[in-house]
Amino acid sequence: MTPLRFEELYQAEWQELECLLDRLLGRKKNAAKDGAPVDGQRVAVLYRRACEHLALARARSYPAYLLDQLERLTSDAHQVIYQRREFGLAKVKRFLTEEFPRSVRAHSTYVWVAAALLYVPTFVIGWLVYQRPELILSVVSAETAASYERMYSDSAVAIGRAAESDWLMFGYYISHNIGIAFQCFAGGLFAGIGTLFYLIYNGASAGAIGGYLTERGHAATFYSFIVTHSAFELTAIVLCGAAGLRIGHSLVAPGRLSRVQSLVKATGDSAVIVSGAAAMLLIAAAIEAFWSSAGWLPHPVKFSVASACWIGVLSYLAFQGRRAD
Amino acid sequence: MLDTVVAAETPEGIVLELHPAGLPARFYAFLLDWLIRLAILYGCAIVARFLGGIGVAFWVVLLFLLEWFYPIAFELGRSGATPGKKTFGLKVVMDNGLPITPAASFTRNLLRAADFLPFCYGFAIVSMLLRRDCKRLGDIGAATLVVHQPQAAPRITLQKVEPVAPVRALAPRDQAALVALAARAPTLTGERLDELAALAASVSGDQGHAGSAVTHRVLGVAQWLMGRRT
Repeated sequence: MTPLRFEELYQAEWQELECLLDRLLGRKKNAAKDGAPVDGQRVAVLYRRACEHLALARARSYPAYLLDQLERLTSDAHQVIYQRREFGLAKVKRFLTEEFPRSVRAHSTYVWVAAALLYVPTFVIGWLVYQRPELILSVVSAETAASYERMYSDSAVAIGRAAESDWLMFGYYISHNIGIAFQCFAGGLFAGIGTLFYLIYNGASAGAIGGYLTERGHAATFYSFIVTHSAFELTAIVLCGAAGLRIGHSLVAPGRLSRVQSLVKATGDSAVIVSGAAAMLLIAAAIEAFWSSAGWLPHPVKFSVASACWIGVLSYLAFQGRRAD
Repeated sequence: MLDTVVAAETPEGIVLELHPAGLPARFYAFLLDWLIRLAILYGCAIVARFLGGIGVAFWVVLLFLLEWFYPIAFELGRSGATPGKKTFGLKVVMDNGLPITPAASFTRNLLRAADFLPFCYGFAIVSMLLRRDCKRLGDIGAATLVVHQPQAAPRITLQKVEPVAPVRALAPRDQAALVALAARAPTLTGERLDELAALAASVSGDQGHAGSAVTHRVLGVAQWLMGRRT
């Protein structure tokens, strides 16, 4: 069959497909206006026909302009037909009730290791600074240490900050804390070393401040401030760290896959954990800005709410979505 | 092969050709996106100053959202590209040519934190320069690809030349070459076309000759091969 004959025979089908695609993609203003819904089955049929024609045209070395036209047509249709609609409330619900907690449990080893990497330095450094408070000066300057003390003194109106508005601190907590968590995750790309560094570093610096303030006698104010939001924040950082470790491990020990394949698989798995953790960090920022800092709330109230949060978060991760496992 | 084409096979058994975008194109797109973000932040900063505390807070949240979620929001939109990428005709797709999934977009943009190191997107630049498919670390991890969007090529119509029957049998490859020459004819200068046609002069029995008459006959053979007889 000559190219002209080929084109003459099938041109009508290609044009029909092109018209349907224009309407689906909203490429032409006037095409999008007429309201009749596009027949999906027809698009699929025409797409398969166009694929066939492209294969034939390639095998028969038809002129480039024909191949170009068919290639563009098929690749556009391919994008439309295989697009995945992954939005909507049902998807979010499934994510929260099943996917996220299950994925965390499926990576429990990484989670425990990440937790150890964060909390062991926290307690070790915290204890050291508690024993010898002058060590704080090797971490932060004297003025910073003094400002921490001011922020957490019993007389502070709003705890944990230099008396700015709740909303401003909300913004600051979001950008700062979520940034740290995302760094813990992305650090995994460097064979996990970045994740190790961020976890240990953040654990150690938190421990130093905690130990110092405890030694100076601000324990009640300080712990009542951090205990509620840390249920979400520290857990989320641990989860991001676990995701980072998963990526790092996939690069160091790819098993029977190539390193790139192994990495792609690992990021696919850990994206679930990180997006869940990002949601937890938003909650943490809101609590930290509006609840934790409220100086007028009596400590017993704060501690009871905090324990409810910790129990809630941990049992959510441990038990949610287990029944259908 | 000099082209950096990535082949993606579809379930229908055809091979789609993806053209990965190189460092310069992506740099320009990034620069434009960066300027857009800067303009938004600058505009909002002016408004925020009037609103005081709450305004500043929203501004800080906006800063955060623009930094991490600006690309995600646009990549998951209909065009699959940020305004910068769209302007330069780029698009983010999966390795296999499919539209990008939310999880992949999320991952490739969070891994930006690794690409950014040690400074000024150092690792991203090294990775893009070293790889044939110009992926940055985030693209490797998320199995995505930034490609040049296929441009709708202007429809080429062969010049009307009187068809001439070839004087000898032609292999399919030779036929394809002649037809391709005829399709390119309008884009070539007359002299160059004559040179190229002289190489193929044997098909119309004009070996060793050159000139516009020979070119005319060679293009006529191409018309014949396309299926035109009158």
